[in-house]
Amino acid sequence: MASYIQARFFNRQVEDSCPANRLMISKRRTRNAHAACAQLLPMENTPNSGKLDLNKPMMGTQQVPINVPAIISGKFGRFGGKFVPETLIACLKELEAEFNWALEDPEFQNELQTALRDYIGRETPLYFAERLTNHYKNEDGHGPEIYLKREDLNHCGAHKLNNAIAQAMIAKRMGLKSVVAATGAGQHGVATAAACAKLSLECTVFMGISDMEKQNSNVLLMKLLGAEVKGVEGNFKDASSQAIREWVGNLQTTYYLTGTVVGPHPCPSMVREFQSVIGKETRRQAMEKWGGKPDVLLACVGSGSNALGIFHEFIGDEDVRLIGVEAAGFGLDSGKHAATLARGEVGVYHGAMSYLLQDEEGQIIGPHSIGVGLEYPGVSPELSFLKDTGRAEFYSATDEEAVEAYKRLSRIEGIIPSLEASHALAFLEKLCPTLPSGTKVIVNCSGRGDKDAATVLNYQQYSM
Amino acid sequence: MAAATAPVSFCRAHISSSSTLSNPYSSSKLPFKFGKFTPCPSSSSKSAGFSVSCTLAREAPVKMEGKEDSDPALWQRPDYYGRFGKFGGKYVPETLMHALSELESAFDSLKDDPDFQNELAGILKDYVGRETPLYFAERLTEHYRRPNGEGPHIYLKREDLNHTGAHKINNAVGQVLLAKRLAKKRIIAETGAGQHGVATATVCARFGLQCIIYMGAQDMERQALNVFRMRLLGAEVRAVHSGTATLKDATSEAIRDWVTNVETTHYILGSVAGPHPYPMMVREFHKIIGRETRKQAIEKWGGKPDVLVACVGGGSNAIGLFDDFVKDKDVRLIGVEAAGLGLDSGKHAATLTKGEVGVLHGAMSYLLQDDDGQIIEPHSISAGLDYPGVGPEHSFLKEKGRAEYYSVTDEEALEAFKRLSRLEGIIPALETSHALAYLEKLSPTLPNGAKVVVNCSGRGDKDVQTAIKYLQV
Repeated sequence: MASYIQARFFNRQVEDSCPANRLMISKRRTRNAHAACAQLLPMENTPNSGKLDLNKPMMGTQQVPINVPAIISGKFGRFGGKFVPETLIACLKELEAEFNWALEDPEFQNELQTALRDYIGRETPLYFAERLTNHYKNEDGHGPEIYLKREDLNHCGAHKLNNAIAQAMIAKRMGLKSVVAATGAGQHGVATAAACAKLSLECTVFMGISDMEKQNSNVLLMKLLGAEVKGVEGNFKDASSQAIREWVGNLQTTYYLTGTVVGPHPCPSMVREFQSVIGKETRRQAMEKWGGKPDVLLACVGSGSNALGIFHEFIGDEDVRLIGVEAAGFGLDSGKHAATLARGEVGVYHGAMSYLLQDEEGQIIGPHSIGVGLEYPGVSPELSFLKDTGRAEFYSATDEEAVEAYKRLSRIEGIIPSLEASHALAFLEKLCPTLPSGTKVIVNCSGRGDKDAATVLNYQQYSM
Repeated sequence: MAAATAPVSFCRAHISSSSTLSNPYSSSKLPFKFGKFTPCPSSSSKSAGFSVSCTLAREAPVKMEGKEDSDPALWQRPDYYGRFGKFGGKYVPETLMHALSELESAFDSLKDDPDFQNELAGILKDYVGRETPLYFAERLTEHYRRPNGEGPHIYLKREDLNHTGAHKINNAVGQVLLAKRLAKKRIIAETGAGQHGVATATVCARFGLQCIIYMGAQDMERQALNVFRMRLLGAEVRAVHSGTATLKDATSEAIRDWVTNVETTHYILGSVAGPHPYPMMVREFHKIIGRETRKQAIEKWGGKPDVLVACVGGGSNAIGLFDDFVKDKDVRLIGVEAAGLGLDSGKHAATLTKGEVGVLHGAMSYLLQDDDGQIIEPHSISAGLDYPGVGPEHSFLKEKGRAEYYSVTDEEALEAFKRLSRLEGIIPALETSHALAYLEKLSPTLPNGAKVVVNCSGRGDKDVQTAIKYLQV
């Protein structure tokens, strides 16, 4: 059934160079924009009208709800797309149709809202970090105002569950019984395991063996939550590949729960959509708190899910600066980092075209960061696009700077941030002196750092 | 303060709360009205130091109130002297009396201070992350459904979602704001597992106060990561080697420090134990749990809960949930203690079941003591329930029959830990798991559709190593 719907959708697929696509990109946020985009397409069944009649039932299918957005190609300029083997195309189309349908289904939305509120604990506060603000004041008492979006307070301790719970609900809707996922730091693995336990789905998580050692506490959490954790030689990228392989082998029964905004379309868009609750709340809270918008949004970038989660809402607001901070590891020139947007080149990886860390022969360069969640050689195609168009700025922070920031926030605000979020916090050191007094800066505190205490302890002992 | 050494059948209490007896306001036998209390300028100088001894027979409970006995709304919790019935009070050295009175009057005046209340509400919302959800545990409810399809509805009050992962921070935040008002620069606290220590270190970092945490040397070894977290947050963690080097010894050491440094130092007690005004104050800071629950229950099903279940160590999370409902006689209040290796093994922490009345850490309450009045070392797999005493208000509620107290073994708690993780994807603290474990015995007895609210007082990430060892996952 679902395949009939998506077949018709694909007849209206937007071409890359189509003017509608450009319209789409600039009005990405609003549902109406999708419908508006669809209106620009030629209509097959009503030759006299320039309007798309979404109400007209398609042959052999159920009535498609009104205002279901037309499929976009999953391209962000030249980035994104669906570079996958033929076997996966049908699956991805089905997923896309389900996703779009779920977005429009009030029952799904209600269930999701309840889960976000009662299970995850949303909305998360927008917290004015008074002492951190004072720390960045100059001698005249001037400086920006620092706010933290407290994604660390979510159930499971990071932003990952926003996406995992929604996708697990979609898997259930599709009648699938088991879920596979890949995880780097383990946060996505824990979130997936929790969501699957709640929805009684079987769960298998793939994790790089070196990551399993570094984030052992998360491995234990996944097992307690009833997930099976399978070790893979290497790290996150290898775990991803293995998870995809497992999925391809069991397409009828298994759902691949992607944790971040990479991969073939519709994965980046889906994950971004579910994470965009962060930005939506932020807009409302900023209005309540100071009657305006933020001036600067700051987030760490591994693959980009938390960054897009907070940025997406504000992409259309040109007066809001979007700043992503990647992992510079031992330094950008050391060769041991994960700063994809700073040092990478465009290529195709895990099904999408994007920047990635590759050598001259096009082989993937193994990334490094003390923040395991940032250790990914690729990056979101949408972020690649925002970089190329100059809409967002990207910088990086070293391991050392991140550990300093970790300790700083703990000592000054009593909040222990994840090492990943610490990269965003580290950039405040360089950013704040450049900002006019009273600038409203919101840092996405994407996770809590209890899981990193042992790492920081070892790092200190090692560096002494 | 060491009146715990007295033999069991009676206790000689040197109530150096003689200052409260000679206090000019003692003529008012009114119930403790927070808004009306005016601080007495130099109560300590008036203390004549005469002692009062009370004789308590084991069998006959002392009735201090008359006809207000049966109506919970009329109970004085606590009365003017900080007593809940015969429990509670201020069994402390003279040097602490002034500090306690000062604390009491400061707390009293701040209760109605809108600036203080607004600041506290703001911190609870933006920093701690309140209000916490009341979550309908669908799969757990299904698990307890009987073959005929009937069963209670299980809800979880998600205190595990608070910043730092437990309910402890509600009290820590309130007390540190109080300390700032009192212009104290130095904060001390005791901790067993480290949760209260971390909560205290957290708020001290947030408000820029010096923080010293006393922790038993044995506990420090078992909870090395929590020790690191406290240090990361800028606190000094001092090892206590005396006695058995566990929580009760850390508490005694903290009290000793406070006696020495009372002018500059505020002692953030972690639970509803200790001398008045602590049990009352800590309860007041935690009662937001029950207040929110009442509101959320009305939103969700248009009524009150039928049963409230919470684990009891010192008793703070339980009192926090119960307090708002004590006057609602149709709401059952159930506290669950730690039965450790079994109530008859001698290795447990089931104070209200197996303890006897005495004085510990400044308050009269039930406690685990041997025939010589020496404290029996408690045991529980969960460090947070590993306390030989219990809050005096719980002792009072037990004696009044208003609340029921049961206990659950280590093994049952571990099973419950695993059960909630697998069924709901929520890993509860081992302390909380005791409350969840009691659902096994409770649910079959409840009518269809009974609304049960369990206080999910903390998350279990800190217990993962322990659990894995026992569960062999």
